[in-house]
Amino acid sequence: MNINKYPEVKPGRKPLKRIYLAIMLWTVGKAIPVAAKVDPEIKKEFEKLPKNFTLRLMVQPERAFPLFFYTKMLPGFVVKNGMLPYGLQMILHIDAQGKVHYQGADPRGKKFDLSMAFKNLEAAMMIFSFRESTPTGYAHDRFVVEGYLPCATTFMRVLDIVQVYLLPKIIAKRAVKRYPKWFEMPPWRKHINRIIIYLRAFTF
Amino acid sequence: MPLPSFYDFCCRVKTISGINTLEQIPSQLANMKAGRPMIISDKGVAATGLIQVVIQALGDQLQIGEVYDQVPVDSDYRVVDDAAKIYRTKGCDAIIAVGGGSVIDTAKGVNIVASLGGDTLLDYEGLGTVKRKLKPLVVVPTTAGTGSEMTLVAVIADPDRKIKMLFPSYFILPDLAVIDPRMTKTLPAALTASTAMDAMTHACEAYYCLEKNPLSDSFAFRAIQLISQHLLKVLQNPADLQGRLALANASAMAGIAFSNSMVGMVHNLGHTVGALCHVPHGVAMSIFLPYGLEYNLHRCADIIGELLFALAGPEIFAATPKSERPEKVVTFIRQMNQDLHTATTGKHPRCLKEVVDRNGAQLVSQSMLPAIAEAIMLDGARLTNPEEFLPTDALTVLSNAWEGSPLDLKKVNKGGSKVNY
Ligand SMILES: [Fe+2]
Repeated sequence: MNINKYPEVKPGRKPLKRIYLAIMLWTVGKAIPVAAKVDPEIKKEFEKLPKNFTLRLMVQPERAFPLFFYTKMLPGFVVKNGMLPYGLQMILHIDAQGKVHYQGADPRGKKFDLSMAFKNLEAAMMIFSFRESTPTGYAHDRFVVEGYLPCATTFMRVLDIVQVYLLPKIIAKRAVKRYPKWFEMPPWRKHINRIIIYLRAFTF
Repeated sequence: MPLPSFYDFCCRVKTISGINTLEQIPSQLANMKAGRPMIISDKGVAATGLIQVVIQALGDQLQIGEVYDQVPVDSDYRVVDDAAKIYRTKGCDAIIAVGGGSVIDTAKGVNIVASLGGDTLLDYEGLGTVKRKLKPLVVVPTTAGTGSEMTLVAVIADPDRKIKMLFPSYFILPDLAVIDPRMTKTLPAALTASTAMDAMTHACEAYYCLEKNPLSDSFAFRAIQLISQHLLKVLQNPADLQGRLALANASAMAGIAFSNSMVGMVHNLGHTVGALCHVPHGVAMSIFLPYGLEYNLHRCADIIGELLFALAGPEIFAATPKSERPEKVVTFIRQMNQDLHTATTGKHPRCLKEVVDRNGAQLVSQSMLPAIAEAIMLDGARLTNPEEFLPTDALTVLSNAWEGSPLDLKKVNKGGSKVNY
């Protein structure tokens, strides 16, 4: 697909929000594979998904991203690492062994078994600025799900736990329906895993 | 109570209700420019002679293309494909579904394949595949509970992949729902009780779950009122046509409510024990409903308290202090289950351990509970439950529901942000 053939692209439409979301999606995407290794619950959730499974979280519309322009200006490694995205996407792949991989933001040539899409930029902002929790966002129809629905509930549970790891309690409390009790996620596990996730996910 | 910051609501099913409304189907079909319907039903309905009642009511004003009564209890896509083929070879131009949830879902599936072409329903899996108006679909429910005549989704199994496929689309909504109490008059007492409690659950969950909205609320509220006023009377006097009509109306209204505002953990548990242990849906609903209310009590006590008005009537509502209303709702539903148990001479189970199959064998053993609790994560209904619902929580609820003991409210995990409706 030739990116020059995309329909009219308007650069500068809410670029700050786009960059903020791009960073958020990248952060979550990098954190999930590590969290899947260290957190027993996330591991269990991923085991419920089929093998060779590709899923993504994205912001609609899929095409026409002003960020195309910015990607051209950036050094190659940034794009390759999926840091600044093709679009606002976060692609995860579960391989035949059940291992989870973050595959950046480039949807070209991939077939998605499950796709969760925010209906527009503002809807994504509501969730990622934590004005609305994920379940409230679901109730308010902020995103649509395509593919096998039962897997979406699994994926949303994974997102919840990852948010608990990545965010300080005061913010995570607003993002999830119920912040885990000490016996659901013991504090020592939370803090050690949080350090591991931050170290392993964000060092190249 | 503040209105939700966003909601959507859609119901465009023309409904005709009353004694002897079946006779109006031909003229209604003529309005939709159809005159050769295919009747879809199952063996159970055929055995009770209800199809004959429908055919007689249709009279000679229209030609019946085919009577297909082969829909099994757990319908799958092959039945749909089969029926769609017959639909085409017999040159039908409309569908009349006569039956319960499974029949209605199958008919919705047949309508997709028959109207849009193709050989198999599998081509239409997923969101947004049904994009245009389908052939006229008339639904004549024979149980008063599922509310499928008002819902925009068809659930059809794929036994090869062992999954349930969902077909959500506004175009799947039936064009006409015919509520005639003659169709539910012969429903056995235990089934009447459990299907009515299914409708009750639809209404209650629609009223307190996360997608609650003022339009659904009004449907749910009235449905609860009708069921609590008429259910026991109908069980004492099965030929009470007015009561039957009230229950069938309540079921349709509860269907509208939950189709637009979704259900919660009661359905989550119900779907799971249905899939793993084959507990009938209505039975599971009546057992889990009090627990669903109890479990979410700390999240939405005020909202649950409002239900007392619909359940118990204005006198009891006014005489109960506001702080005691939520608990009273739970006790009221428990008492209702107890009354149904008595009225059906023990056929309506009050707890999971009382659920038995036709041969009297227990369906859910205590050792299965942990596996059920793990499996709840694969059902979407948990997302709209006000309180987070995880396997550990499910296990607590399940073990209480198995014994029939009330939930220890102190043990319910609380915390997190306030629910925004
Ligand atoms: Fe139900």
